[in-house]
Amino acid sequence: MDWEAQLKLQAYLDGELPEAERRRLEATLAQGGQSSLLLAELRQTREVLAGFEKGIQMPESREFFWSKIEREIRRQESPARVPAPVSWAARLRRLLVPASTVALLAIAGFLTIRNDGSSLLPGGTEMETALTDTGAFTYRDYSAGTTLVWLSYPAENEPDDDEDAVTLQ
Amino acid sequence: MTPRIRSTALLLGWALAAAIYSGSGLRLQAATLKLQAQLVWGTNDERSPDPKHKPVEAVVKEKLKELPLKWSNYFEINRKNVELSPSGTSKVELSEKCQLEVTSLGGSKLEVILLGKGKETLKRTQALPKGEMLVLGGNAPNATAWLVVLKRIE
Repeated sequence: MDWEAQLKLQAYLDGELPEAERRRLEATLAQGGQSSLLLAELRQTREVLAGFEKGIQMPESREFFWSKIEREIRRQESPARVPAPVSWAARLRRLLVPASTVALLAIAGFLTIRNDGSSLLPGGTEMETALTDTGAFTYRDYSAGTTLVWLSYPAENEPDDDEDAVTLQ
Repeated sequence: MTPRIRSTALLLGWALAAAIYSGSGLRLQAATLKLQAQLVWGTNDERSPDPKHKPVEAVVKEKLKELPLKWSNYFEINRKNVELSPSGTSKVELSEKCQLEVTSLGGSKLEVILLGKGKETLKRTQALPKGEMLVLGGNAPNATAWLVVLKRIE
């Protein structure tokens, strides 16, 4: 049985043969022989395969799936972009912009500091620890630029170690 | 902002930063602090019983009068000048019982420790710009007062 005859049998099984050819083949099959045996085998094979065939469910529509493939093919076919040449002025500007930001911050920092090193901002850092005197208080005269820290040490009339006069004099 | 204006602004910024930077260098060179520490006695008496005591100078007296202190006269018992290098420390003995330890913390910032009879009585950190004063004080016998006046000269 030649290759052409085998293909015709497969087409017959798939219902793809024209009417005239189908009749001629059916007449041949009715006589039995290799053709009918092959047809029976093909039918059996199709039934077996059809029993195992599972429908594959795509997570996306068919059109969308193929459009992705199409886009990927086009992307790979498009020529790679050539970076535009960067002028030295643009490069210098890229360097100067962050450096200028730092410079401006430095200027702002310097401008908030007076020549004597003290800050122009209100509420400068002041810290006080009364080591032996919990009754100390602080008074600040901003207009005169004077700070007074008054201590209860040494307390008035406190007996001294060696003299009756309690004083730091 | 056009590229030309932006470039000009950047150059001006750099020039200004360079000028300030060079100025700060000069300022750092002159960072030595000159201070004056005085031990002062406050009283309502017109004269001090010790003839060696002299009234405090007018500027100090004016500033003391602006403070909420009840005394009308202030006499200088002792005076010491202090020069502090950056981050330097100096200990000043104003009397047998009163000492002052001053540390420069950079700029005009100071740490002041008052020692009474050899013991640390007060530790204070603050800025003391030129012309400003820090006054530490307390009561003394017979309704008088002792004061330590720390003044920034330079």
